[in-house]
Amino acid sequence: MRPKTVVNTLIALSALLWLGDVAWGQELRFTAIPDQDTARLEQRFTRIADYLSQEVGIPFSYVPVKSYGASVQAFKNNQVQLAWFGGLSGVQARMAVQGSQAIAQGEEDQHFVSYIIAHHSTGLQPAETLPEAMRGMSFTFGAKGSTSGRLMPEYYLRLHFTQAPEKIFQTVGFSGDHSKTIALVQSGSYQLGAVNFKVWEKELTRGTIDPGKVQVIWKTPEYPDYNWSIRGDLDQQFGQGTAAKIRQALLSLDDPALLDTFPRRRFIPADNSLYLPILETGKAIGIFR
Amino acid sequence: MVRTSLSFLALAGIALLFSDLSISTLDPWQELGRMLQGMLSPRITDPWELARGLARTLSIALLGISLAVAGGGLFALYFDHRPVRLFCAFIRAVHELFWALLLMPLMGLNALCAVLAIAIPYAGVFAKVYAEIIQESERQATDSLPPGVSRLSGFFFTTLPLIYRDLKNYTSYRFECGLRSSAILGFIGLPTLGYHLETAFSEAHYSEAAALLYCFFLLIISLKYWARPGFIVVPLVAALLLTSWESSLSLANITRFLSYDILPWPMREAGFYDGSRSVAFSLWPTLLWCKQVLVEQALPGLWLTLLLSQIVLVGSGLFALSGFPPATTPLSSPAGRGLAHLLLVALRTTPEYILAYCFLVLWGPSMLPAIAALVLHNGAILAYLSARDADGIPLPFDASEGRLNRYCYELLPRLYGRFLAFLFYRWEVIMRESAILGILGLHTLGFYIDSAMSVDHLDTAMLLILVTALANMGVDSCSQEIRRRLRISAEFTSST
Amino acid sequence: MKDRPCHHNHPHHGHRPSLRTPVLSLDQETIAYDGCIALNDISLQIGCGEKVALIGPSGAGKTTLLRRLYQLRPGECAFIHQQYALVPQLSVFHNIYMGRLDHHSTLHNLRTLIRPGLREREEITVIAESLGLAEKIWTRTGALSGGQQQRVAIGRALYRGGSILMADEPVSSLDMVQGREIIQLIVDIGQTVISSLHLVELSLEYFDRIIGLARQQLAFDLPAGQVSQADLDELYG
Repeated sequence: MRPKTVVNTLIALSALLWLGDVAWGQELRFTAIPDQDTARLEQRFTRIADYLSQEVGIPFSYVPVKSYGASVQAFKNNQVQLAWFGGLSGVQARMAVQGSQAIAQGEEDQHFVSYIIAHHSTGLQPAETLPEAMRGMSFTFGAKGSTSGRLMPEYYLRLHFTQAPEKIFQTVGFSGDHSKTIALVQSGSYQLGAVNFKVWEKELTRGTIDPGKVQVIWKTPEYPDYNWSIRGDLDQQFGQGTAAKIRQALLSLDDPALLDTFPRRRFIPADNSLYLPILETGKAIGIFR
Repeated sequence: MVRTSLSFLALAGIALLFSDLSISTLDPWQELGRMLQGMLSPRITDPWELARGLARTLSIALLGISLAVAGGGLFALYFDHRPVRLFCAFIRAVHELFWALLLMPLMGLNALCAVLAIAIPYAGVFAKVYAEIIQESERQATDSLPPGVSRLSGFFFTTLPLIYRDLKNYTSYRFECGLRSSAILGFIGLPTLGYHLETAFSEAHYSEAAALLYCFFLLIISLKYWARPGFIVVPLVAALLLTSWESSLSLANITRFLSYDILPWPMREAGFYDGSRSVAFSLWPTLLWCKQVLVEQALPGLWLTLLLSQIVLVGSGLFALSGFPPATTPLSSPAGRGLAHLLLVALRTTPEYILAYCFLVLWGPSMLPAIAALVLHNGAILAYLSARDADGIPLPFDASEGRLNRYCYELLPRLYGRFLAFLFYRWEVIMRESAILGILGLHTLGFYIDSAMSVDHLDTAMLLILVTALANMGVDSCSQEIRRRLRISAEFTSST
Repeated sequence: MKDRPCHHNHPHHGHRPSLRTPVLSLDQETIAYDGCIALNDISLQIGCGEKVALIGPSGAGKTTLLRRLYQLRPGECAFIHQQYALVPQLSVFHNIYMGRLDHHSTLHNLRTLIRPGLREREEITVIAESLGLAEKIWTRTGALSGGQQQRVAIGRALYRGGSILMADEPVSSLDMVQGREIIQLIVDIGQTVISSLHLVELSLEYFDRIIGLARQQLAFDLPAGQVSQADLDELYG
């Protein structure tokens, strides 16, 4: 080896050493996809992990995932034991692992709604019922596995028009994300979209929405959404009473900085039965068979 | 060859008639302005995260490709056996994103999953191309070996030295593809650069997204300075030592996946809601279920996928043929070449998803943004390969000075055969890439697979992946047949 | 070639080179690439109508010298390359036509690529006939034998026209019989001919002036009849 190669080698080795991952120990893992601001999840949720570790007395670590589908798979395969799910992904995950329980939800999640938004050029105005003029326009949902961005809006669209969205609209897209739905409807790329009310209101206060270009034309009825769920075998894996301790830690969380990660005002108790409407809705639109 | 090209052109023209190419946007400029502003003001918010993302992208690509080279090399030696050929055709017919989605339930979102998701389909590709290179190599040395020499030792002593250069050229090209794949795997949550890129992009943090993209461009450009056989071992060993192999591969998960999750729904239905997980074998409902998935999803998805890939194939070809001249020595000045190569790197490295989003904002949902995004991406890859190919063509010193003369008389006729070969290789790639187009409301096969995955219908996803794989294998053998008839091969030598 | 005579009245074979009007001349020429000497202090004159062979071991600088000579009068020279300069995918017609690409507008060239005009067809058919390629004119050049391909290369040079015909190892990939045919052809059709050759006997047989190059320098420059075995031994020794 020539000297230059040796130097290169050393640089490369040390760089990779420095950047190398540190292996996880034996911990209780959890995952969470907040409904907005998914940047720097690892840093933000590591603080939640620290809080839980301190309160529960066992080490917690956060596993970042990108999609509801991935979070369900991780839960199913015991790669995480605790998760902050959307309404739909929560039901999917708990059905896949016997004995799993929803243990808490955000205060806001009792009365969640989705908005149908429209570009101003459609001429559609806010109304009590879904306007017939929507037919034949282009429409975008959010992520495919999202409760507020897809499941509930699709359910009410089907209920009103008694047709699948592909039949009602000329084009049906999946923007993948609430912010993108707003951006795409605002730019007129899609004429209509379905969006989570919390994201809409946050972007409204942030000033990214131009009310002259896009507005809410319809609100869905309320439904339960995000929730904390644990695997049925959590106590077996980590000792009796762990689930109860986690629940208590979540319910007594009052640090606004930590709550803002989700973002929720506070967490309140929840149980599986709260989400039966989601299961029924999912069955109605074919997500549950 | 001309006739084949013209018939492909005509087919694409017919496909265009069936496509929705409407433009429906109203106010794209605000969003596009924000993107442009982001591109002009790249900002690195977290250098540590960026460095880690780059290092992981690199490690995963290195390990994945190395495994694929080893596996593909081994398969290539036994490529004359039909089962080996079929097996390789199958594993490469499934896109790395789908492999990742399939492996994810088994091993979680971690480096091992990503490495395997790259290694498996690439091994299939390497096996095929290596086998072709071996086939075209001189056989004299091998034939003159005494009888009884094992195939493997014969290979190492006679064939390998002869074809080393070709193998090296091809492998280095695929390494760049591997890096791209590695980055893209981040889009579904694997810990590579795409993870941060997707986040920044979907949160409309365009400055951050631009910085991530630019760093990735730099990584790709830097390849030619360090990705050499002599040096590659070093980062490879480092990657091997330092990647976190922590994975939750458990026998229980694999068993459940294979013996329950992917079984057709009618077999699981009874035991699903009561929690008993019982499986009942029922032939007729299972057949009905298959038929329903095929009729409602596979067939319409396949039709749209074929339509789109036909248009994109021809479009990419046209883009490449008109786009490579500025990037090649015989036709361009050094400064012009530098600029052209920069542009080609940018186009082929920017994930198609991002290109598609830009065009969606610009034109609204139709096939147009999809076509534009895929044509630019694939066309840039083909243009790069063609330019590299043209660089290797020795022109007589008294060749005409006129650039168009050179292009039409000297370069195009010489590289057209190989260009077609490259193009046909892309055919199946283009088919697989249509998976990303859900955002455009285009219901391709990939769209249905992604939909099934996202609502945990693994059985439907498996069936659709199988259909996609079969379609890819069909397209693959079709392109092979065309190449055989035209007697063209990609011969990855830079013919000097 | 035939339509462009030398600017000299009566070129006679057998004359001393120096007596003819020089069409190409180099005066103490030294060429270096990247600090490597490719030609060292070469002075020579080539007269109109001469048939000159360049011989010498490989690496002696024959190709460099030929190219340098070509550059002296690019407008009047036609160059016969080794086969690689042909485009195997194009027809014989198009390969010959390529000799005059820069005489026509690009538009015309594009048209010819797709559908050749009548004039070009006629001109090139005449050349192809004279080379015995009349039947192969629309054949892919890559499908021809080595000797036929070399004829196509000559055809291209012929079509290009000009009073000086240059050839770089025109028979290197041919057997002896084909080689003789091709050399005969080149010597016959070219007015002034300069060719590098690796076969000494063919040079002595068909050319009237032999230039020996060794180690980037002129070793000897003699009429064919005066080259001795000693000269050759020293050249290749």
